[in-house]
Amino acid sequence: MKKIIALNVNGELREIAVNPWRTLVDALREDLRLTGTKRACGQGSCGVCTVIMDGKAILSCLTLAVECEGRSITTIEALGGPDGLHPLQQSFIDHGAVQCGFCTPGVIMTAKALLDGNPHPDEEEIKDALAGTYCRCTGHIKTVEAVRHVAQSDREAE
Amino acid sequence: MRLPHFEHLKPASLQECLAALAESGDEAGLMAGGTDLLCNMKFGVIKPRKVVSIGSIPELCQVSEDGDGNLQIGACATLSDLVQNPLLSASFPALHDAIKSVGSVHVRNMATIGGNICLAPRCWYYNQSQQWRRALTACHREGGIECHAIGGAQRCHAINSSDTAPVLMALDAQVCLRRKDGERWLPLRNFFRDDGNRHTVLEAGEMLTCIVIPKGSAKHRSLFIKVQLRRGLDFAIGSVGASLGGNGQGKEITLVMNSLCSAPLILAKAAQAIMEEGLNDAAIAKAATAARGELGTVTNLFTSAGYKRQIVEVLVKRALTELKTDVVARRKPH
Repeated sequence: MKKIIALNVNGELREIAVNPWRTLVDALREDLRLTGTKRACGQGSCGVCTVIMDGKAILSCLTLAVECEGRSITTIEALGGPDGLHPLQQSFIDHGAVQCGFCTPGVIMTAKALLDGNPHPDEEEIKDALAGTYCRCTGHIKTVEAVRHVAQSDREAE
Repeated sequence: MRLPHFEHLKPASLQECLAALAESGDEAGLMAGGTDLLCNMKFGVIKPRKVVSIGSIPELCQVSEDGDGNLQIGACATLSDLVQNPLLSASFPALHDAIKSVGSVHVRNMATIGGNICLAPRCWYYNQSQQWRRALTACHREGGIECHAIGGAQRCHAINSSDTAPVLMALDAQVCLRRKDGERWLPLRNFFRDDGNRHTVLEAGEMLTCIVIPKGSAKHRSLFIKVQLRRGLDFAIGSVGASLGGNGQGKEITLVMNSLCSAPLILAKAAQAIMEEGLNDAAIAKAATAARGELGTVTNLFTSAGYKRQIVEVLVKRALTELKTDVVARRKPH
């Protein structure tokens, strides 16, 4: 039986009717048409479906939509579009950390959750956070460099 | 992969949850973080008709010290919260290390300690899609009489991959199992069954609610070491939790291996060697060799039996050497 849930997605209160077996990634993509979040392995081993829920990076493929009642969710759509990129997005482009781009939303949301909680992580902390994401084409060195650049440029700005 | 259909229950309190469990019996699957349960449901490995969500029941999420100074951890405390908890990192660094080694940041943000202890055992044959499993006859896990992972095996040899279990066992943790009409406490080392098909002593309608680590274990030197193919995300292909009590001579030593058998394994013979001869290099070598022989049938998942015995030997040697170095360092006058 479908249940109506209200959740805050990217600052906007949204109401959807979902079956209990609907995962958050499917609700975002199919019910809310927010297709920036990708679905891949479905078993928590690639990090592609990462969104930020109440400040923490979580896997939307292993989260039931009904469990998100009243929660606050941030997806890649909140970060920026072609007119105004988020510093992480720009840094990923500058460092060649995007190739096919499929894993990028997940990696960037993971990095954002890290930087929101810890604006100046060291290399180990960046690697530890990004260890839950999986890029099959451009490799992990460049994603780490892209995140490190944002962490360092923030510091210089201060 | 899509989830099968099920009914979703979200009890507001532990009492309500236990009542729902008593009513549902075997039909219910408990979901805290969901990282293990939902994954297994997608593969059709388990098929609960009802999913009982317990992750936000307040009384299951608390971490505190009881009146006697023992550390009480609610089963639904998330691994991320525990990693950041100063009570844990100060008194039980080995447990802190074990928790921090689980999965990834994402998984730790969702997964709970109770879920990690109860983690469903895994098998290279059985933990695949339904289509894959239909290709062969039913195995022990599916009610059959065969094992496709280890030919001729008389029982299911799925592997227990919990990282927290070996450390908690080495620290002498107790667990509280509740059901609608009562509760029982038992040492965690009596919680597991060496059978991949039914790997804990939990009865239908019963659930793990709380873990207690005795105050005395905080004085022990303890450590956790894990071997993985990759440092992130992968399940271990061998792990050891060790604790050394008393004056550091080796009379009170516990070594627990996991990710090799269907239940965490207490290495009695290896510990015996240290207890008899003390914590010295000769005894460590003897203990490491003895540990090889303590593994039973171990050819499931990732590597060969010979390699697994080698992992045990290496892990025991590393763990004991590290404990010895630590003891020596503390004895030196400052």
